[in-house]
Amino acid sequence: MGEEKDLRSSLLMELRRGTLVLSVLSQMEEPKYGYSLVQSLEEKGIDIDPNTLYPLLRRLEKQGLLKSQWETGGSKPRKYYHRTDYGTQIYEELKVQWEELSESMGKLLREGKT
Amino acid sequence: MSGKEQELIDRYIYQVVRRLPRDQRGEVSLELQELIGDMLEAGGSVEDVLSKLGDPAKFAEKYQDRSHCLIGPEYYDNYVWLLRIVLTCVTATVFVVSVIQGIRDGIVLADGETAGAAIMAAGTGIANGFTGIFIAGLSAFGGVTLAFAVMERRKIRFEMKKEKSWTVRDLGDNFTGKQKIWTPGNLSPIPHKKAMISRGDSIVGIVFIMIFGVLLIFAPQFFGAVFTDGEVVRTIPVFNLDQWDIILPLFILSLAIGLADEVLHLVVGHYCRLVMISSIVTGGLQMILLFLLLKAFPLWNPGFATELELYLGGQDGTGLNEIITRWNGDFVSNCFLVFGLMITLLEVGSTVYRTLRYGIEDPA
Repeated sequence: MGEEKDLRSSLLMELRRGTLVLSVLSQMEEPKYGYSLVQSLEEKGIDIDPNTLYPLLRRLEKQGLLKSQWETGGSKPRKYYHRTDYGTQIYEELKVQWEELSESMGKLLREGKT
Repeated sequence: MSGKEQELIDRYIYQVVRRLPRDQRGEVSLELQELIGDMLEAGGSVEDVLSKLGDPAKFAEKYQDRSHCLIGPEYYDNYVWLLRIVLTCVTATVFVVSVIQGIRDGIVLADGETAGAAIMAAGTGIANGFTGIFIAGLSAFGGVTLAFAVMERRKIRFEMKKEKSWTVRDLGDNFTGKQKIWTPGNLSPIPHKKAMISRGDSIVGIVFIMIFGVLLIFAPQFFGAVFTDGEVVRTIPVFNLDQWDIILPLFILSLAIGLADEVLHLVVGHYCRLVMISSIVTGGLQMILLFLLLKAFPLWNPGFATELELYLGGQDGTGLNEIITRWNGDFVSNCFLVFGLMITLLEVGSTVYRTLRYGIEDPA
């Protein structure tokens, strides 16, 4: 029973992992700090653990898709991320791919129920 | 926030960043301060927040891009392939050399009519063989593993086995030079069954060359007549050890060429033009070296016959005496030369025959 649960959760995790980058990139036109991003994604129905998101933001910055800046004006220092031009370009490309993929997947999954 | 809570947060952050590279620690620690602060503001106790973030070790793992494996899937196939060959060759060589040494010692002692000691010596040789296998095997394993681990870390791109099977010149009709991108045109024809080179044969060849090389380098006196003269073990070398400095490099060169050829056979795995050309070149060079060794260099110990006769002189005339009186360096050289040339020609001939008969499938 436990094994079955493990399999299910690992399959689900794999399925979600691929969508994370796209989810994050979609939200980064305006500068955002990490936790505000967690919250805004959550509001829109995308659950992401902070311990996944923070390392992901760093990785995307390293790849040149995001840029970060520390804001020290507020109550405490916060790191704001926003999309670079390159990031926007990649995001647009990924978006097109996603739409095609999601349409095809929709067709596939509806096939059974007639 | 109480001091105790702050302490807990600091401990958590410490547990994450201590697992990260030094240059990332400061930044990540600030990020985590920010995150935990934000999560606390959103509600919940420090313990709730830290539990939600989970095991700091797993958190740190997500911050690291590098994989947690010594040798990744990219290299694994080549690693196992090379490891098997190196282990086989090294352990076989060490074992055989030790056993030969042991048996030789045994024979020497048996000559002195102490059978017990002889068996002891042979047993010691075999035991040494097993110890040697263990040590040599461990070193070979360590060496190969280390080399691959370094490549994994440095992301050195290399394609040893794969590149061979995709880029050897006989691959396809329109194949020119090295190709980075794989296309179906790269597919080499399936080798004819009779064109396959047995991996065992190549390994036996490599082991034999290595054994011979080890003995020549470390124990050239091994090649000789051995007697016990009372208590003393006496060896009369066949080779001219006074001139060994100039003879040995020639031997080694010849063996190294042979070794390279065997390794190529092993890597390519079937008869093809490359193997054929390598065989012809190797054969040619080895015949030249053999000729030089036997005819142009003072290979034989000039005192071999006299020394042997001197020793055997005190003994009853056996068949040996007959041989010794006829010992003649030139005659022996000629015999070896003819024998060596025949073997080499036979080998090259068989490779050429098999390549032309079965190995070349492309019309070029």
